[in-house]
Amino acid sequence: MDHFQYVGLLAFCLLLTLPLEFVFEARVWRRPKRLARALTPAFVVFVLWDLWASASGTWDFDDRYTIGLRLPGGMAVEELAFFLVIPICALLTLESVRNVMAGRTRLHRARDRVAA
Amino acid sequence: MPIYPVLALIAAALVVGLELCVLRTGVFRRPAYWIAMVIVFAFMIPVDGWLTKLSAPIVIYRDADTSGWRPVWDILGEEFVYAFALVTLVIIAWERAAGADE
Repeated sequence: MDHFQYVGLLAFCLLLTLPLEFVFEARVWRRPKRLARALTPAFVVFVLWDLWASASGTWDFDDRYTIGLRLPGGMAVEELAFFLVIPICALLTLESVRNVMAGRTRLHRARDRVAA
Repeated sequence: MPIYPVLALIAAALVVGLELCVLRTGVFRRPAYWIAMVIVFAFMIPVDGWLTKLSAPIVIYRDADTSGWRPVWDILGEEFVYAFALVTLVIIAWERAAGADE
């Protein structure tokens, strides 16, 4: 199971933030074109950086905790998912904060229904 | 200076420059951005901490390439600068792409 530590951590991040999409109406997953445009520039830059840093030895990955698939130069394949998962979590957080501040969430509407 | 903190600082400066001089989405003036960043950094501690903890690291750094400064749960200081650059670049691009699905 240790080989799934990294990929499991990323899956956990996705699961933990998924409710934000619905409870706080973040609408990140449901705006796929905007999401793709938001993720692409950072994905390209940070993957290139990671390929180079892995190849040059600035960082390395422990084979015990990764599934063992490596890109040329030694970058763990999990890193590709990292640069999608972490940005999605951040965008879900941003949109949730906005909606909470503006009173635009499922919870606000439920409260309004109770009051009415 | 070791390479990783230098590159992280350059990346953060480039992202700030991109926002202030080119894309001008205005996120730095919005409280929601700063509140979201505080939350992201809070969750970064357990997540990045798990990845880089010195007791059983998933990601291992070459000491000579890092600052060696690990302020919280073995996380390198430059990781926070790196995270700021990554997350801010994504948020700026997200702002620019507003309306893409309408």
